[in-house]
Amino acid sequence: MENVQTSTNINFTPRITPKSKSLWQHAWTQLKKDKLAMLALTVVTLYSLIAILSALGVIATGFDKEVGASYMAPNLEHILGTDIFGRSVWDKMIKSTEVAMSVGLVTAVISIFIGVLLGSIAGYFGGLLDELIVWFYTTVSSIPGIMLLVAITFIMGKGLFAMYLALGLTSWVSLCRLIRGEVMRHKDREYVQAASSVGCGDFRKLFVHILPNVLHIVIINFSLQFQVAIKSEVILSYLGLGVQGRPSWGTMIDDSKLELARGVWWQLFAASIAMFIVVLAFSILGDALRDALDPKLKGK
Amino acid sequence: MKNLALMLFVISLIGGTFTSCSKKEIEKVKTLHLYVSTQVKGMDPIFADDRYSSNEVGRVYEGLLEYHYLMRPYTLVPNLAEKLPEVSKDGLTYTFSIKKGVLFHDDKCFPNGTGRELIAEDFVYSLKRLADPKLQSSGWWILDGKIKGLNEWREKNTGKPSVDYAEEVEGLKALDRYNLQFKLTRPYPQFLYALAMSFAFAVPREAVEHYGPAFLNHPVGTGAFILPEFKQTNKIVYVKNTKFRNKTYPTDASDELKNLLEDAGKPLPLVDKIEVEIVIESQPAWLNFQKGNSDYMGVPKDNFASAIQGNTLSDDLKAKGIELIVEPSLDVTYVAFNHDSELFKNKKLRQAMYLAQDIVKQNELFYNNTGLPAESIVPPGISGHIKMYKNPFRGPDLEKAKKLLAEAGYPEGKGLPEITYDCPSSTVSRQIGEHFKQEMAKVGINIKVVQNPWPELQSKVQKRTIMTYGMAWGADYPDAENFLQLLYGPNRSPGPNGSGYNNPEFNQLYKSSSMMQDSPERTALYEKMYRIAAEDVPMMYGVHRQSYVVKHGWLRNYISTDFEVGQAQYLNVDQEKKKSLIGKL
Repeated sequence: MENVQTSTNINFTPRITPKSKSLWQHAWTQLKKDKLAMLALTVVTLYSLIAILSALGVIATGFDKEVGASYMAPNLEHILGTDIFGRSVWDKMIKSTEVAMSVGLVTAVISIFIGVLLGSIAGYFGGLLDELIVWFYTTVSSIPGIMLLVAITFIMGKGLFAMYLALGLTSWVSLCRLIRGEVMRHKDREYVQAASSVGCGDFRKLFVHILPNVLHIVIINFSLQFQVAIKSEVILSYLGLGVQGRPSWGTMIDDSKLELARGVWWQLFAASIAMFIVVLAFSILGDALRDALDPKLKGK
Repeated sequence: MKNLALMLFVISLIGGTFTSCSKKEIEKVKTLHLYVSTQVKGMDPIFADDRYSSNEVGRVYEGLLEYHYLMRPYTLVPNLAEKLPEVSKDGLTYTFSIKKGVLFHDDKCFPNGTGRELIAEDFVYSLKRLADPKLQSSGWWILDGKIKGLNEWREKNTGKPSVDYAEEVEGLKALDRYNLQFKLTRPYPQFLYALAMSFAFAVPREAVEHYGPAFLNHPVGTGAFILPEFKQTNKIVYVKNTKFRNKTYPTDASDELKNLLEDAGKPLPLVDKIEVEIVIESQPAWLNFQKGNSDYMGVPKDNFASAIQGNTLSDDLKAKGIELIVEPSLDVTYVAFNHDSELFKNKKLRQAMYLAQDIVKQNELFYNNTGLPAESIVPPGISGHIKMYKNPFRGPDLEKAKKLLAEAGYPEGKGLPEITYDCPSSTVSRQIGEHFKQEMAKVGINIKVVQNPWPELQSKVQKRTIMTYGMAWGADYPDAENFLQLLYGPNRSPGPNGSGYNNPEFNQLYKSSSMMQDSPERTALYEKMYRIAAEDVPMMYGVHRQSYVVKHGWLRNYISTDFEVGQAQYLNVDQEKKKSLIGKL
């Protein structure tokens, strides 16, 4: 028994290694340095907060109440004036934030879910499955987007839910292409081969090993998709295909196209500025995320 | 897209792209300058199914009858007919004699290029063209099922390679050169109104055969003006028909129009030339009018606030010698219930909903306070409308509405499902819907506004998959029947009765009145129906709209009318006044 080593004989000296940052941590540090991006992030957070509070009924509950005469110009009491029915334009603008943000979020989630799922399956498995999926998204993308949107809203009936679906179902193709390409690049890499050699199944390799490595693309896409969806919501509502019976920046702009001849500019102003700020913030954030998450730009 | 274009236009205005033009000389030839807001489809009467085309057709072509220019309520008088027709006792046979010596315009389709005399056979031919299955006229409905043998003739010719005009139709005959006889399948008191519509105007067979399909662009009529060739351009120029028959400006008029008798007895037409300019967007048209490039136009909605203050013209327009003419239109806006729905069989619910609405406020918000709040379905100006009648269920009376709602079984709206309101997708329609929603919310009724493209709304109404919807109806002819038909049970959609209202008492009254000629007895029936249509609240009536037209001081004899076809021949331009006024613009 003497020759058996006991643990008491072994000295463990902790080796001090310089802490390696993960891609995400690195991106966050990078992002924090970018003041403009942080401002954009704050704006987006603020909009999200407003949307949540208005959805919970904490703020802008009086958006459909008559608070004054019709077409009151902005004044101290109603800082953005009133609309045709004497409703507060400020409250309508706030309430519309809820619609816009929810459309942005749900649409982006739907489009990312479909895009990532189909893209990674096509890229990973290749062969017939790939051809099928490529055929499918080529077909979808060759249908003019607005036509597809109109068709979906016709089938689903109009409203918020139809718009989530319509926008989500028409906006996944570009992400799907990107993910497919990335997964193709990754699937023969060493770490995937290593995963195979320890006996991982296809789905484990795909979703546990490869996917985290292409996730930065998804995140960038998410923030871009978000603002495209907000813009589309406004356009659809402007055309009368969007939300029904509740305020939206699109319907506010639609209202103001007649009001302008009377000199009523505040509704157009409120809706445009609210949309402008959030779309701009998302664009800046998207760009900053792209820079921060691109490994090729690391350390530059 | 149109709206986008308008926006761009407004922006370019702000940018000051437009500069005022230099003073212009007025032309020596007495010219009427008109404006039309849409492309004109063509000059064939049987295809003139919109107001704009039929107005153009009406400058060149004429029919047997027309509306007296200065009589209100609208009265039919002979035009190409010598006198009003003789109608047989059973109301089935109409015999017309037509004016002698009426000439078609000179045109190369006639031998030697000289227009020949109009004969009774021309009407037989023209009306057969309206029924021609190969031509598919959109005006066929005015004769469909009404003239003996004409439907059979149409069916018989459907399959044939060419339509046989020679075959006689029993109900449509030229007795001799100047006498014409119609035999109807059933009494149809509105028949004469149909003959005053541009669909039934006389065209010469020679021109149709000579020009073939191009006849659409080569009008040859008997009217006061000649258009040698119609081209799809932005300007249509008519010249006076120098061989126009001896037709004179009316010498009698209703009391309120007596001031328009200055030209009484003068030979028509009163001007030498008409220039019709096609301007699609309302803003350039409005600017053109202000520069004196058109003699009159309706006030565009968006310019209303600046052009009209209170109920009079703004001072700067007045200073330019511009005058405002306000005239009620024969129309009604309404929100219809789908009477197939069990919910709306509840009369008290319908009444409560109507009572909860503030029509006066609606008029203020959406019609610049220019409409007349409606009491029932028939607009003022035609018999069947009761002047001093007040609909007891026209709101706003929230107390009474709440009481009735409780009696209907839905106290404070409890137990009521969400009610959908369908409307077209235009901005104003949506705003009207939102207003309706607000009003209903006051008594606890929950409304959901659904916007639809026009064809989809139509199909929803026809398939009856709709709860309530907003619409308007404008008169085809000045007869209350044209409005009351909207509530006649057997007319349910695809007929004109979109709401599916079916009230045996109303149906009975309608059926009896539809066989009767215009008479105090028929008016009494109309008024009975008017009351039912009000108090039973089969629909919630909005307003009877009014037309707001501005005209320049030099334009004489202008009145705004629901039936503008042929109006140009009565209009006159005061050249002296124009010279002095044009400088002020």
